[in-house]
Amino acid sequence: MNTKKEFKSPVGGAIVDPAKQSMMLAALYIAQEQNGYLTKEAVQQVAKRLGMTPGDVYSTASFYSLFRMKPVGRYVIQVCEGISCYLNDGAERVADYVSEKLGIKLGETTRDGMFTLETVQCLASCGTAPAMRVNDQLYENLSPAIIDDILERLMGEV
Amino acid sequence: MTNWEPVLLANVNRPNSEKIDTYLRYGGYEALRKALKMTPDQVTAEVKTSEIRGRGGAGFPAGVKWGFMPKDAPVKYLAINTDEGEPGTFKDRLIVERDPHSILEGVIIASYAIGAHRAFVYIRGEFFLGVKRWIKAISDAYQKGFLGKNILGSGFDLDVSVHRGAGAYICGEETAMLESLEGKRGVPRTKPPFPAQKGFWGKPTLVQNCETLANIPHIILRGGKWYSSIGTEKSKGMKIFCISGHVNSPGNFELPLGTPLKEIIYEHAGGVRKGRDIKAIIPGGSSTPFLTAEKINTPMGFETLQAAGSALGTGAIIVMDETTDMVEVVRRITRFYVHESCGYCFPCRIGGQRMLSSLERLAGGKGSKQDIEDLEYVAKGIYGRTFCPMGTGMAEPVLSGLRLFRPEFEMKTAKN
Amino acid sequence: MPNLIIDDLPIEVPAGTKVIEAAEQLGIIIPRFCYHKALGSVGACRMCAVKFLQGPFKGVQMSCLIDAQDGMVVSTTDEEAVAFRKFIIELLMLNHPHDCPVCDEGGQCLLQDMTVAGGHSLRRYLGRKRTYRDQNLGVFIAHEMNRCIHCYRCSRFYQEFAGYRDLGPTQIANRVYFGRFEDGQLESPFSGNLVDLCPTGVYTDKPARFQGRRWDFERLPSLCIHCSLGCNTIANARYRAVVRVEARFNDAVNGFFICDRGRFGFPYTNQPERPRQARIDGNESSLEDAVAGAGRKLADIAHRAGPNAIACLGSRRSSLETQGLLNHLCQLMQWAEPDYFLDPLLKKKVKSAISQLDSRVAVSLRQVETADFILAVGVDPLGEAPMLALAMRQAQRKEATVAVIDPRPVPLPFSFEHLAVPTWEMNGCLKLLMEEAMRKEDEKSAARDRMAAEEGWLRNNPASAEIRRQIAQLAALFQASRNPVLICGTDIVPEATPAVVGAWARSLLEEKGKCGLFYVLPDANAFGAGLLGAANDHAFLETVGAIERGEVRALIAVESDPFERFPDRSRLEQALAKLELLLVLDYVPSPMVQQAHIFLPTSTLFETGSTFINQEGRIQIAQPVYHGGTPLSQMNGGGHPPRVYAGGLPGGEPKPAWQLLIDLAGALSLAIETGAVENPLSLVASAHPLLAGLKNTSSLLDGVRCLPDVADAEPVPADMDPAVGPGTENELQLLFVDSIFGAEELSQYADVIRQVEGEPCLYMHTQDAERLGLVEGDRVLLTLDAGAIEARVCPSQSMAPGTLVLPRRRKLEWQKAKSFSTRVTPDRIEKLK
Repeated sequence: MNTKKEFKSPVGGAIVDPAKQSMMLAALYIAQEQNGYLTKEAVQQVAKRLGMTPGDVYSTASFYSLFRMKPVGRYVIQVCEGISCYLNDGAERVADYVSEKLGIKLGETTRDGMFTLETVQCLASCGTAPAMRVNDQLYENLSPAIIDDILERLMGEV
Repeated sequence: MTNWEPVLLANVNRPNSEKIDTYLRYGGYEALRKALKMTPDQVTAEVKTSEIRGRGGAGFPAGVKWGFMPKDAPVKYLAINTDEGEPGTFKDRLIVERDPHSILEGVIIASYAIGAHRAFVYIRGEFFLGVKRWIKAISDAYQKGFLGKNILGSGFDLDVSVHRGAGAYICGEETAMLESLEGKRGVPRTKPPFPAQKGFWGKPTLVQNCETLANIPHIILRGGKWYSSIGTEKSKGMKIFCISGHVNSPGNFELPLGTPLKEIIYEHAGGVRKGRDIKAIIPGGSSTPFLTAEKINTPMGFETLQAAGSALGTGAIIVMDETTDMVEVVRRITRFYVHESCGYCFPCRIGGQRMLSSLERLAGGKGSKQDIEDLEYVAKGIYGRTFCPMGTGMAEPVLSGLRLFRPEFEMKTAKN
Repeated sequence: MPNLIIDDLPIEVPAGTKVIEAAEQLGIIIPRFCYHKALGSVGACRMCAVKFLQGPFKGVQMSCLIDAQDGMVVSTTDEEAVAFRKFIIELLMLNHPHDCPVCDEGGQCLLQDMTVAGGHSLRRYLGRKRTYRDQNLGVFIAHEMNRCIHCYRCSRFYQEFAGYRDLGPTQIANRVYFGRFEDGQLESPFSGNLVDLCPTGVYTDKPARFQGRRWDFERLPSLCIHCSLGCNTIANARYRAVVRVEARFNDAVNGFFICDRGRFGFPYTNQPERPRQARIDGNESSLEDAVAGAGRKLADIAHRAGPNAIACLGSRRSSLETQGLLNHLCQLMQWAEPDYFLDPLLKKKVKSAISQLDSRVAVSLRQVETADFILAVGVDPLGEAPMLALAMRQAQRKEATVAVIDPRPVPLPFSFEHLAVPTWEMNGCLKLLMEEAMRKEDEKSAARDRMAAEEGWLRNNPASAEIRRQIAQLAALFQASRNPVLICGTDIVPEATPAVVGAWARSLLEEKGKCGLFYVLPDANAFGAGLLGAANDHAFLETVGAIERGEVRALIAVESDPFERFPDRSRLEQALAKLELLLVLDYVPSPMVQQAHIFLPTSTLFETGSTFINQEGRIQIAQPVYHGGTPLSQMNGGGHPPRVYAGGLPGGEPKPAWQLLIDLAGALSLAIETGAVENPLSLVASAHPLLAGLKNTSSLLDGVRCLPDVADAEPVPADMDPAVGPGTENELQLLFVDSIFGAEELSQYADVIRQVEGEPCLYMHTQDAERLGLVEGDRVLLTLDAGAIEARVCPSQSMAPGTLVLPRRRKLEWQKAKSFSTRVTPDRIEKLK
């Protein structure tokens, strides 16, 4: 039976509801949508909604690479640095190309806040390497021309 | 070249292959109708007869795994592993994006067999299109009465939901996946208890890779005997081989298990680019040991690859030609595992850091003999002694790289 | 029971024992970092690798993960296993900073020990060490993440064992970090255990930081006297000051852990304000003169007004030696027996509780962990006996049902069933549950009908339907339980409750063959006070009356500060002012010490070593850790070396209180048995039959229980109804209660404790708050009989309606209430802007 009680006392532990906890990742995705990363307030909000502590939420969120704790650009470019992309002239070569084009190093964001450049582990596009992701969109069989195209289109969208 | 009629990939190249109507038009959900008329035990028996082994990497016999599910437990779950992340592997993504219903049909049949009324799809967070396809497939299946209450009038109920991972390779390990499904950090659990005893929310749970599940409808329709007639002695059925790297036509090829490596590379994937020689092959995803060109006649089966000194893993073949810098390849693969270590057990977390440090120096031309010795010492230390299999997967490429290509490593230290 | 061989030694262990444990039973300590007996095995560190030579497992495996099985042959010294352990140690030193010379853990560091033992001395790794930013975890714990080896002990204790969730692992891969979401005080009142648990120096004792190294300290077994549980500790002293307190393992009491009140509450013994000099009428004097002066005055008063004009107030925080000597002195002088209680009701409850305990039913704190059903009545474990909450949590983690009958918003770090009824309904609630649980199946429905018809005690409780449902469910679980434990408080419960619970425990014992009984008593030696206190209902409340009437002219207060708990401060002040002699013996600068005509400084537990009886009836002994005296840091402006030219120990005048009582007897020309001077316990041993065993003091270090085989239990009073019944519709009962920090007498002298006690809250049911137009965070002025006090409102749904709860915080001046329990009308609560 053991009904769940929530403790308001300053010296009490929270009791976690497994059903709510299992919504954690989904909730974090939603919380991340607004700012592109998890703000302190977003973490607290998620904790409140799920009946957990911000520490619980942060503990889980920081485990996963798709949840970000720091601001990023409007478009996050993730260049696959997997083995097959490397064998197909991708990986660093693509990253370097994008880097030069945007004038930012890995991990940086352009001054206008448009692009953040990162590398990412294997995107399961080995058969269509080299690959990269921009936000949730996957781009495969990359070549300098295709990359130019993608970036120009994104810049034009503003 | 033997041209096999595709089973798992029969639909993927059809227009609108992901739509339920397409799936139905080509005989979709017939296996489900058949299965629902069988008893759950009969379904499990058929799967056992087929001798199909899990396609996620470990190769555990699926029928046996189903048999582990306790019969008397009131609440059981099925968890579908679509967390494909092993470098070189891109087969699950293909099925999910192009033919999700084939997996879903397998999910429903498997749930029926083990008596689960809830199934959870865990999909890699990066597979954004895959997430959408799963959701659409599930909602269409509900509409057509393949999911929900009283499926096709059989009295069997099943609900399926999709859960998106968030970029942690380790969540492909079944217990880590369950932790992640529960909304926790994806750290593997102690086994025993196995998921079949205590899985999701502490209830018996069957965790199965999506390629495995996509096989199930065919096994039910055509019979386990048909399935076990394909393949080698210990590796039955059709398998999707992902081939990438220095080949002319990379991609997914569905072939019987036991097809020789050579046939896959030279006949199906169009041979090595620029007609070069092969230096190394990874036969089953980046955690399986390298093979040299000498082993090119090895049949792609569980037992045959093991005899050749490697493993079938996920069936992801990466071909590297004679120009490849093997030190860089090992460094890159190691970097992947170091990056993806869950940080739980010591040898994997810190051993990886130490190996990578040596490999970075070696690849950068700044290494020494000490680095090679260190590398070997650490990899041997990690091998087989970590909490989950990932540590061994991290050590394999290093050990086999050193075993097969040691002179290349030594060349890199020549200057120092 | 599996039989196996470890390092050529055969052993038989119970099924389910891990190999690492089996080896330990043979005296073979397999190296480990993550494994801890209390936290279990998780297989993270891989340090406990051993080689399995024969049996179901083969090769190098982790001994913490594998159950001992028949036919196993295990080698812990096999070359391959040793080499692997060396490998792990070398890996750990990859990132570990070489800051041992400035690390507080140095000398008691598992990592240091293992590194030396593993023979690792040459660094082969050329890469960078990974580094972290530390967090401020509050006043108790210093954080130094660079030292972390990631054994997960901290988060496993903090979250799994103790049930708090603000500290845990974050990040992934070799960036894994143990910390909080944001900097800030750790929420768990058990956070200090991280210091003991951490195998390296990530968590160190902040107040003790840089105060000394393990080998610098005078370290001896001691006891915690900040509540009645008697947790075992080790006190560390250096330069005439207690520097830190650690938990000491005791399998029958606290296990491996203690609470933060016990760990950080010791500074009363060091504080600069501590009175170390005897005083006569405010002027410093020698101890001899003060004792002689007190003797003369007492003799004079006795001569003029008779022995009854002299009253004694003992203390429940005094050692058994002191209590015994005070009793003995009163007997010799024919003075009235000393009071140990201010409130006669509390005295009755404690005496009744003690009388219920016998060796059949009394269970230790650790045995509470093994219960499959726990019913706690009138007890707030975190406030009154914090470690009890941890013990209950362990039972609950093993799926025991825990139910608490209490009007307060009892906070516990686990889920439990709370029957939130007002104090006057607690006995009725208990009785119903009892009847329902003892009843045979076929009688149940009839009884339930009767219960519904009677209504009775539930009439005032709007939640009565809910409570009736809870009772029915609990009764069923209770009936099915095989090892129930009944826990009973003595603070807010009605008079009859301890006896009701005791009687029930005995009848359950008959029915089930097993039932535990566990009381929580007020203060560390309440058990001793209950045994030694007079058999009558006399309490200090009456002494105050006698002083006011002029019947009592001299008061001897031994280590007792009635200002802490006497509910009417001004009355107490006025009464004390009428005394011809107020003789105070103490070691804290209490208001009593300020008012004393003659003051005699006494020594603390750490200086004297002394005996206490915990609430279970377990006699335990603390050893003298250091010789006393003013801490070096307080001499000569803290300069070094201290330049004080004197023959004796500076500030070393205080003596054990029992010693001073012997001296006082001497000054009164009375001879105390000569043996008492060497061994005061010999006197105590004859004071009560249950204490007869004290003559043999050699076994006391592990603790012995002074319980009868069969209790001569005080019967349940015929009239079970408590004195305070339901009031008029509008009235609210105001309860003064304990809280973990800020309400316990001795720990309040510690700066760190005062820093974490937080703002006092006035708890009330959400319904009542709504009725009064109050919301969370409002500040109110609560007018009591002798003035108003200010507090913050904390509405709670999990408490009894009609009840107000206020912690007895020193800074609250709750003593304006004028009586031990009181009722207030809504117009006395005024919302502040």
